[in-house]
Formats: sequence, structure tokens, C-alpha cells
Amino acid sequence: MIAQFKALFDARHEKARELKQQGTKIIACFYALPPKELVHAAGMLPVQMVEDRDSKYEARSEFLPYLCGMSKNLDGQIGAGVFDYVDGIMVSTVCDTNRHVLDIWAQQKTFPHAWLVRAPAKNDEGAVNYFTKELKRLAHELGTVSGTRVTDEGLRRSIALFNENRSLFRQFYEARVRAGIPAEDAVYVFASALTTPVEEHNALMKTLLSSLPSDRPNVEPKLMLCALNIPMSVDVIRLAEKYGATVVTDDFTHNARYGSTEIVADGDPFRALARGYLRSVPAPGLYSFEDRAAGIRAAMERAGATGMIYLTQLYCDAYAFEYAVLKERFERWKLPHLRLDAEATPGSIEQLNVRVQSFIESLL
Amino acid sequence: MAEVDLKAIQRKVTAGASYRKMIAAAEAGQPICLASAGIPNEVMHAMGVYPVYPESLAAISAGIGKAGVFFDEARTRGLTNTICSYTRCGLGISWTKQTPFGPIPPPNIAVTDVNMCCLHLTWWAHIEDHLKLPTCYMDMPATDAPDAPEYIDYYENQVLEMVRFIETNTPCRLDMDKLRASVKHSDLAGYYWTKMMELRRNRPSPISFRALAGQILPLVTALGEPDTSDYYEALYYQYAQDAKEGKTPAHGGEKYRLIWNGIPIWHHLQLIDYFQEKGANFVWEPYTSLTWGNKTSSGRLDLDRPFHTLAEKYTNILSNKPIARRFEYFDRAIRDYAVDGLVMFSNRSCRPMSIGQHQLGQLIKERHDDLPILIFEGDQADPDGFSWDDARTRIDGFIEVLEGRKT
Repeated sequence: MIAQFKALFDARHEKARELKQQGTKIIACFYALPPKELVHAAGMLPVQMVEDRDSKYEARSEFLPYLCGMSKNLDGQIGAGVFDYVDGIMVSTVCDTNRHVLDIWAQQKTFPHAWLVRAPAKNDEGAVNYFTKELKRLAHELGTVSGTRVTDEGLRRSIALFNENRSLFRQFYEARVRAGIPAEDAVYVFASALTTPVEEHNALMKTLLSSLPSDRPNVEPKLMLCALNIPMSVDVIRLAEKYGATVVTDDFTHNARYGSTEIVADGDPFRALARGYLRSVPAPGLYSFEDRAAGIRAAMERAGATGMIYLTQLYCDAYAFEYAVLKERFERWKLPHLRLDAEATPGSIEQLNVRVQSFIESLL
Repeated sequence: MAEVDLKAIQRKVTAGASYRKMIAAAEAGQPICLASAGIPNEVMHAMGVYPVYPESLAAISAGIGKAGVFFDEARTRGLTNTICSYTRCGLGISWTKQTPFGPIPPPNIAVTDVNMCCLHLTWWAHIEDHLKLPTCYMDMPATDAPDAPEYIDYYENQVLEMVRFIETNTPCRLDMDKLRASVKHSDLAGYYWTKMMELRRNRPSPISFRALAGQILPLVTALGEPDTSDYYEALYYQYAQDAKEGKTPAHGGEKYRLIWNGIPIWHHLQLIDYFQEKGANFVWEPYTSLTWGNKTSSGRLDLDRPFHTLAEKYTNILSNKPIARRFEYFDRAIRDYAVDGLVMFSNRSCRPMSIGQHQLGQLIKERHDDLPILIFEGDQADPDGFSWDDARTRIDGFIEVLEGRKT
């Protein structure tokens, strides 16, 4: 059953094109912070642009050499026509790269529509007021594109659907260790959520949760993986397994977003959405470092992980910086961890072989 | 203007003088604030808070070849070389509590903007976390419409919040008369700075970008101080006199008039000298003309609405404007300043300034008869990987292209 998630993810572009042919407009999101509920409430499908393993895409991009592989990979995919079904792109800032490559796409009219989410970095009343107005501006513009006006009721329904998805994720993460779910399969459970209609993903998740086995043992040592890039993560999982470890839980900003905080949807749903996004998503600088570090430690404890791999992509300054801050806590807590910094190419990951092996041996 | 001793005034605003003022301020019990570039320091000055700017100290350290120790400190703390060199060097300064001029007094508070670059947010969060300092975040949401009235209003509230933050965390209190005086001095500094930039329309332009790279420091770090406005007033009159006399830093006369796009390469400022040796002179830069100074629509600060005028000024960030709008500034400058070529600094530490340069260059070439463009890739403060020989060879080739177009 779990293989369906990978199949869904692998067929994400075909699926999107199919929906497009049926009349659904598709809005691409770069990174996990755009309020997808708003896109959904406007009757469109939010689809996260996800990096592809094929390095030909990075070579195709004309982006600066010192930008992260993820941005170059996505730009290469765009250039190759992979996202030919996209009607608009929405970016919410997490780093200077994701914010400013939108300038290029907007200038080149890469997509018919481009939106920068003007999100504050704070979450006090002034920031919530500002962001509520911004969400209403976006809703109006999205509605103009789709022809479906975003109503309070429609937005409440969308929030409820995405909240359900978050709740199902939480249940999944609680169940995955005792169910002994292979880490690679688990990656696709959440990766598919980034690209699949939420209703369909919720239905699949419910089926999955009702069919999970229990008390399947995991091989020691058990690890947690903190990462961002999906193909790189799969490679590191395989590397860890090659040396006898099991990755029993993970932390991607994407799934932390889905699995951590539900949006309290009482009163004005726009305001609720504003509150739900501001400083609630574990992104560097936009979330408390203390909570982020404690969240990782708690996730490790829940899953019984005795070590953690923190994987960053070369030139990803946001996560490289976050690591430097979290490291102080990890060391204070004597939390065994390995920091890996690599390019998103198989050769680059392969070079980490010895370090991963040594780390795993140190945990035995 | 009465005759003034420019050198005597200049001595009051140098980096060393600024350091000595900071020590004196700390000894006098003034709170010390770790501040990011791009916050309204007019307010701090009016309130008696002394700001220390890690970014400026990073630039100065790089400029005098003393940044290595701070980069080393950052490396041992887990910051990789792909992170902005201002950030690494600035944090190195904060951790070692040293500057090239001597130790820095313990800071009492920290204040940052969050939008000039995203790293400011993480950087100051790190400072707050590590140094346990009360920290104020001057929120400025990411935007592609920085002149929207509601955006400026939002930031005006942030300026007021900064005042409340300072009053809550220090004994300092805001005196509106002092604020108006501070804004007045800032306005005068910005006014004379703009007039200096306009002098560069003269042929030849009397001003060297190399000199400006040092002279800009008070405009970044000491606005509100009478010394700063006095300095720029005196400097303007000096340059006006130089313009009358036809002086130019270009050796053998000004043959080529150039634009520099980006932050100066602080660790190799002699690069600018080399252009000048070849008869080329930089006559316009977004860094000097659009990043600092009075950036309001009128070009002056409104003394009757100090908070609003500061909000309008500080939200006017070039990299927050769409590429087409950025191009308009270049388009105008190329015509107004009779520009022959453009040098782009593709700066791996500053993505907001570097992303989109290629597209900007394409627009410029299309609209300005294939204007020659030279691109340097490197880092603003970290000399690692920079080759002086390679840079000179490339400048030589660029000058040949410019010469070819003249003939």
C-alpha cells in the first residue's frame, strides 16, 4: 500500500497535466511557506516544485554558480519544460535565494502569474493584521485567475482539509517506528503530499494508517535525519542502511509544516491563516531556535533514535547558519550527530560514505 | 560656505574616531547596541544609544587586511565559508569582542532590520540566542512593492516599536526635539551626499569611487551626528572646487566613464585604482547613489514627520524592486552620466544584490547599444579564491573593448 505514495510522487507531473486538461489551474510553490490553503480555496491546485535527481537540470540553469543546487535544479526543470502545466508561481521568503530568483522568473515571464507572499517575520498583532490584509490581497488575485472567489466558508473548508492532513501526518509519525516503515518509503509519504490534491492524500493516509503493521522491530542503531533536499535524503538513507543503521524518523521543513501545528480556524479564517503561518513554520530565522532544537530532540526520543544526521546542501546558507546555532545546543545536550554538507549529485553523496560509516559505528 | 579645514573635520568621522567615540560612550554609561546596517540610526543617536555595526566593522577589517582572525573564529563555531562573509566576520567580531582598533565594550541591546537581507534575521537571532541580548527586530516583510503606503506605515510602527524597545531595555528616553535635530543632521548629510553624486555628471568627474568607499562610512554608521553633516558639507564644497578645476582621479585624463554595480571588493580596493590608472573612472554606483543617503521621493527628510520620513527612507531598498524597475535607474544613469561601460560584481556573499544581475545586464545591452559589461565573481570581504593577476588581465581586456568602441 505504501508504494502508492512513491508512485503518486513519481507521476506528479503527469497527474498535474491530467488535472490541468480537466480544467484545474495549477499554482507552483517554491519551498513550503506559501499558504496553500488559499490556493486551494480559490479552486486551484497548489503543487510544490521539488528538486529532481537528474543533474542535467542544474547544468541547464543559468543561475549563479554559488546559488544552491535546489534553485538551480528547479530553474533547469523549468527551462526543460517540466513545469509546463503551471499557471502561476507563489514564493514565500525563507532565504534570499528563493525570494530573489522569483524576480528573475517574474522578469522573464516564466509563468503566467507570479506572487511574492509579503509575509512579516513577526507574529504580534501588528504583523497578524498586516498579513491578514496581505492574504486577502492574494486571495483576490488568485480568485481573479481561477474565476473562483475565495469566501470565508471556502477558506474554512480548505483549512480544515489541510489541518486533517497535518493531523494524519502526526499519527503517521507516531506509528511509523513501531510499524517498522522503511525510511525511504516514509519520505515519499510526505513528498507526495507536496504534489497531490489534499483530498486524495488524506484518503490515502487514512487507508495507510488503518493498515500499518505493529511491533515490527527496527535495526539498531536508530537514526533521525534532518534535511531539506528529497533526493539527497534518499541517498543518505540508503547510505545509513548500507552500514547497518535504520532511519526511524525525519525532519524536513516540509513535513514539519504539515505535521506540527494545526491552524486554529475560529473567527475570521484569513486571520486564522495569518496566525497559523507566522513564526509557526520551522524555517531558519522564522522560528525559535530553542523550539527547533528541542523539537528535534523530542522527535528523536519519541522514535528511540540514538543519533542524528543533519544534512545541508552546499550553498544553502539558511540551513548552514541554522546548524551553527543548533550545534551549540546539540553539543550541550551531548546529542550524537553528524553534519553533512554536500552537493545534490550522487558522486558528492558517495564521498560521504566514510563519514556516515564512522558515525554509525560510533553509535554501536 | 566659510572656509573649513576638511582634514580636521574628516578626522572626527574616520573609523578610528568612530571607535574612540564608542569607547567614550560606553565609559559615559551610554548603552551600546549591536545594530545591522539599514536601521534608523537617527533615532538611536537622538536617544543616546551608541550603535556598533558588525557589517561595517567587517568591511573595514577586510579593507585593512585584518578580517582573517574573525573568519577563523567563525569557522571554529561551525559557520561554513558559503555563508555571507559579513556575517562570518561580524559574528567573529561579536564572539572575540575585538575589532581591528581594539576591544568592543559589552553590548547592552541588539537591533536589526529583517529585510535588507534574510541573513540579518538569522544573524541577529543567533546574537540574541548566543549573547542573551534583548533584541529588537525591525520587521519589514519581503516585498516587491516597497513604496506601497501600507508598507511604509507598517515600518513606521516598527520604528515606534524600536523606541519602546530602547526605553524598556535602557535608561534612554526619546526627546522629540533631539530626534528632529538628529533627522535634520541626517537630512543635511544625505543632501550634501546627493549633491556630491551629482557632481559626477561633470566631465571629468572629480570623484574617485575608491575614495567614496571610505567616505561613505559616516553615512552608514553615524547619521544624526553634527560631525557627519559638517563632514559631507565640507566634502561637497571640496569636490565642487575640484570639479571647477577639472580634477579627476583617472590617470592621464578621464577616458572612460563607468558604473560599478555591487558592494566594493573591500579586500582588493586597489582594483579601482587599477581602473583609474587605465584612464577609467567610476561615475555612478547603486551602492553610493541608491543604497544610502536620503532615499525619500523628495530626496529630503521631512522634519515635521520624523518617523514617517525615516520609514519611507529605510523601506526604499533597491533589491526589493522588480528587475524592470532596477533597470530604470541604470537606464537613466547611463544617459545622465554619459557612461561607457559597466562593471558588475557578482558577489557570492550578497545574493540580493547579485541575483538578477545577468538579466539586468541583458536589458542594458539591449537598450544601450551593447554597452560593454565586465563581470567579476568573488566576495566582498573574504579574499579566498580572488586572483589579483586574473582581475588585472580582465580589466586590461575590458579597457581594450572600451577603447575599440571609442575609435
